Amino acid sequence: MTASASNAQTLPITVTVNGRAYELALEPRKLLADVLRQDLGLTGLNIGCAHGVCGSCTILLDGETVRSCTLFGVQADGAEITTIEGVAPSFEELHPVQEAFWAQQGLQCGYCTPGMVLRTIELLRENPDPTREQAREAIASNLCRCTGYQFIVDAVIDAAARLRSAAQQEEPDESRS
Amino acid sequence: MSRGAEIPKIQAPRDLKWIGRSTRRVEDPKYLRGLGRYVADLEFPGMLHAAIVRSPHPHARILGIDAEAARQIPGVVAVVTGAEAAELVDPLPDSGPAPDRHVFRVLALDKVRYVGEGVALVIAESRYIAEDARDYVDVDYEPLDPIVDPIAAGQDTSNLVHDALGSNVAYDRTFTFGDVERHFAEADIVVRDRLHWRRGAAMPLDNGGAVGIYDPATGELTIHANSISMTWFAFALAATLRIPSNKFDVISYASGGSFGARFCNWRVLVTAGLASKLTGRPVKYSEDRLDHITNGDQHASDRYYDVELALTRDGIFRSLKTDVIDDYGAYCHLGVGTHGNAMAQVTGAYRIESTVYRVRAVLTNKTQQGAYRGFGAEVANWAIERLVDKAARQLDIDPAEIRRKNFIQPEQFPYHIPTGNMYDSGDYERVLDHALELFGYDHWRAEQARMRADGRRVGIGLVSCQERSVYSATEFWFWYDDPAVQTTSTPEGVKLTADALGNLTVTLHSTPFWGNSSDTMAAMLVAEEFDVDPATVGIEYHGTKGGLPAAGPGGSRLTVMYAGAIRGAATKIKDKARRIAAQQFEADPEDVEWVDGGFQVRGTPDVRKEFGEIAMAAHLFATELPEGLQSGLEASHVYDHPYTTMPSKDRTDLGVFYPCMGHACHIAMVEVDVETGGVKVLRYAAVHDAGTMVNPRSLEGQIIGGTAQGIATALLEELVYDDQGQLLSSSFTDFLMPTAMEVPELDIGHEETPSPITEYGIKGGGEAGRMMAPGAMSAAIDDALVDYGIHVAELPATPERIVRWIGEAGGGAGSAPR
Amino acid sequence: MKPAAFEYHRVGTTAEAVAVLDQLGEDGRVLAGGQSLVPLMNFRLAQPEHLVDINGVGELGYVRHDDGMLALGATARQAHVAAAEPARSDVPLLVEALGFVAHPPIRHRGTVVGSIAHADPAAELPSVAVACHASLTLTSRAGSRDVAAEDFFLGPFETLLAPGELVTEVRFPPSAPGAGWAFVEFARRHGDFAIAGAAVTLALDGDRVADASIVLCAVGPRPLRADRAEALLLGQAPDAELIAEAAERAVADLAPGADIHGGTEYRIGVARVQVRRAITLALERANGGDRR
Repeated sequence: MTASASNAQTLPITVTVNGRAYELALEPRKLLADVLRQDLGLTGLNIGCAHGVCGSCTILLDGETVRSCTLFGVQADGAEITTIEGVAPSFEELHPVQEAFWAQQGLQCGYCTPGMVLRTIELLRENPDPTREQAREAIASNLCRCTGYQFIVDAVIDAAARLRSAAQQEEPDESRS
Repeated sequence: MSRGAEIPKIQAPRDLKWIGRSTRRVEDPKYLRGLGRYVADLEFPGMLHAAIVRSPHPHARILGIDAEAARQIPGVVAVVTGAEAAELVDPLPDSGPAPDRHVFRVLALDKVRYVGEGVALVIAESRYIAEDARDYVDVDYEPLDPIVDPIAAGQDTSNLVHDALGSNVAYDRTFTFGDVERHFAEADIVVRDRLHWRRGAAMPLDNGGAVGIYDPATGELTIHANSISMTWFAFALAATLRIPSNKFDVISYASGGSFGARFCNWRVLVTAGLASKLTGRPVKYSEDRLDHITNGDQHASDRYYDVELALTRDGIFRSLKTDVIDDYGAYCHLGVGTHGNAMAQVTGAYRIESTVYRVRAVLTNKTQQGAYRGFGAEVANWAIERLVDKAARQLDIDPAEIRRKNFIQPEQFPYHIPTGNMYDSGDYERVLDHALELFGYDHWRAEQARMRADGRRVGIGLVSCQERSVYSATEFWFWYDDPAVQTTSTPEGVKLTADALGNLTVTLHSTPFWGNSSDTMAAMLVAEEFDVDPATVGIEYHGTKGGLPAAGPGGSRLTVMYAGAIRGAATKIKDKARRIAAQQFEADPEDVEWVDGGFQVRGTPDVRKEFGEIAMAAHLFATELPEGLQSGLEASHVYDHPYTTMPSKDRTDLGVFYPCMGHACHIAMVEVDVETGGVKVLRYAAVHDAGTMVNPRSLEGQIIGGTAQGIATALLEELVYDDQGQLLSSSFTDFLMPTAMEVPELDIGHEETPSPITEYGIKGGGEAGRMMAPGAMSAAIDDALVDYGIHVAELPATPERIVRWIGEAGGGAGSAPR
Repeated sequence: MKPAAFEYHRVGTTAEAVAVLDQLGEDGRVLAGGQSLVPLMNFRLAQPEHLVDINGVGELGYVRHDDGMLALGATARQAHVAAAEPARSDVPLLVEALGFVAHPPIRHRGTVVGSIAHADPAAELPSVAVACHASLTLTSRAGSRDVAAEDFFLGPFETLLAPGELVTEVRFPPSAPGAGWAFVEFARRHGDFAIAGAAVTLALDGDRVADASIVLCAVGPRPLRADRAEALLLGQAPDAELIAEAAERAVADLAPGADIHGGTEYRIGVARVQVRRAITLALERANGGDRR
């Protein structure tokens, strides 16, 4: 066993998180979840199980959802990461997916919520008009202990409608031509 | 209302502005942004991290601990052994039957009693280093024979979990209510069942956590924790930590779920507190998943029942016998309170004239029990509903109809069940009819027949169950003939402040948010009183130090208690404001009325002051205040339990201790794959009556979430020990919490029979779903497998067990449809 | 649940990877997707001294046709493979099985080769590799060797891979035109490892079975080929009875270990059902049902 703080190897990385570039020196064993939470203060993601099952630590890594508890921080070198803190467009506005979760009460304790919101964003990018069953299967990657999932499914469906309607408003002429 | 007073008639809620409306929750934006803070997120300058060295043995003597190598690791600040901890802190608060003979400590002292029990504590600069050092703590164990089977353990007097107790049975008592023997003798039919409800756990996604901050300069100890109910018990925790109670502060933090798991989780707080007291630096102890599952004091009921129902040949229930052995694990720090919850509603929704209840609490080498949504009453619900279903089948009566025959009738409320507890109000037949309609019972019974004709094993099951809410303190001690203290207080205090502009802040005591919508409930209740938007109400949490008496959440009491406390505080503020307004109007306060957010003189609505104007006067213009009034506009109010009566000396009457009685009917339709034992829920409907609803959408969220947990209890979740006492389900890959694919869509309906004893008629509803679903699922599986004569008597009904039951019924794979 | 310290080696090319692995010998452990390894490290059930991270080896990220085969490089992610046209058209059994591998966020990181190399007997992909007669390329500093998936798995988490070697590629022969396939499993929870599963390919000549491959998953120390069941089907026009008999043969010698989700007998029973259902589905597809 090679365990001690003093002789630990550290490696420099550069990583972009929520649009901002960081240079960090990391002990290789430090989990990406801990790097984001401790080194960058992004505590929105949560470590519920630390063995890749619950999904509370979900982030977008280069645009795809991953569990940050099963990655080492050093592996994020050169990556672009979005955490839940990077989702809302401003302090005043929420992202349509967040709005939908709020409107539908798609959360209770909020612990799984960052992961659920990020999974929903990803799903709706791939499938803008999912059925309830598709929504269920998509969020089945993440555990929620509070809601029984039904209002999360409601939120996904609501979010899909909001995003479609926003997309239509943005490109009204194109859709007609 | 004074305790024990006459019960008033039901008052329908007044014309309400906010109560009853599904409004967005005020808590949500910060959690949606990832900016809600859980205790694991807290950082303090110089903070250290603790990790616990856990026992790999279920039962072993600790011969010695060598921590020198661990102490030498750079970054390690201290290692505390169990023996050293016993010098620093006293045993943890313990409501068990004999706390001096089953001593509950933060770290094991001479012997370990379950896999995962802490034997030493490592405090280091990071959790990584603490875990490194943990591997270097050398513990010399002498393994002892594990005590695993509670039935055998109860007989054994040679191999004991706690030698000082002289037995593995920590508690054994029989309570008899009414003339049980006569009713059984007179019965035409006695239906018997032997049931086993296996060990589960609340298992919130967030683990327990605390940061202890000891100030050597003042001797004060502050603990930030995601625990609940702490104001009430803080003095006991202070005593454990040897800190004067007025130099001790527990500050509540939001928890990512609780469902009971944050109730009295002393170990976490004491671990952080003692570590900080020892090092003089902030110390965080955050359970990880393994800590929580193995050493979190939060396993749930693990019961073996023998139950009997006496009834007439017409299907009328007469009497109920319950004999239950509960495997509490190595300690029982909450006593047998989970059986008090059961006895609050043991006879269910039915007119049953008498009952007897024997409980044996057995100690074994397993993690001890804590609280889980239902607090043991959900198990009793399952037991009686299993009996009722068995009776229905035996008498060939439709399960809905046998229930209907036996319901307590609306005009019989308030109704005292044989144990002495009172049900305040209800209309069970209305709930049943609503549920049958919502489910489409007749239609789906016809569909079921069609599907069965196609060879599909489809079943429908139904239960009508109680949800007791708003407990009172008598249930902590009526177990004992000579209890040390006979407490009767379960208060909830709030402070309400109107600032100079009239903006309102409500200060809650001892209650963190854990998904229970506590902030929204408080904000809506304040909004109702002051005609403001709930989103404008400020919410803050007070630490235990200098706090008002508050028992916190538990037993589905919070919304009811908030309603009483906020109503009380609001009345005080409005009374003062009214006097100020009257002075300004030069009117008699009696003639000044509150209308839509302001005061006006009765009959002359143009003579009016907005609440903000009065608040300004109250804060800034002392000379304009009526004689005897001081500046400011705030009030505290402590609301006590709305209706409690004392138990009789001989305990043939436990008194009223859980009176706000909710009710629900759940109907499930399932399909069983007889070859794999897999169960799929095809359809699920639930109608609930929790009295007046405050926020229907939030209540539905609780019901659906609770039902999902109940379905998981029925099918998936189990903490499994092998016969050597090893815990085999210590990860999320083996403790199977359901994903969205295992939980069905639910149809939810509501009835509202207001409580006559609470403000607005509110009853608790937070635990309800979980209290019904296991019974409904069991009944549906029975029905699907009716050809095999299966009666589900053991939960969870795992696929393997279902296949085994079918095989035992002579329906092995050979007889299965191909 | 924090991993023990290790030395981290980030490599950018296959040559670099095998050079480092060669140097480290027994002490070196490959980090690919990490979806199995890192949880074990968090539990400290695995405490490798050295991790060789191959995620930066861009040249191994491919999913391509190569000499008539579907070739997947060591860092090709499961999600990428499942969505890639060469895989969807050539090896539908693999794509179907990938749908059972945990959940999308896991598949975004996890690699097909990594799952095969990890050799968890409960995992889906080793069985698929065997069922499809896939072959693996094992590369070391000294060179490369190809081994059949059939020979690669020795036991739970044990393979032919020698210290210093890296599995650089897996190659799947394309599904024969008109052949049927099925991956079927029973798990207690969506995305979990199976109680038992079966991977089947069936080629027909008219209504007769010309070729059958039946491999069981999660019921033995490694993927188990049901050769007696295959032999029974060959040359036959299977009906329900024959399929049931094949399923019976497939489980005749099974002795799966017990865990809390299923004992030996139960797992055998579930395996029998999975084989039967997989053969039935594969046959349906071979007969023209559900063609992609």
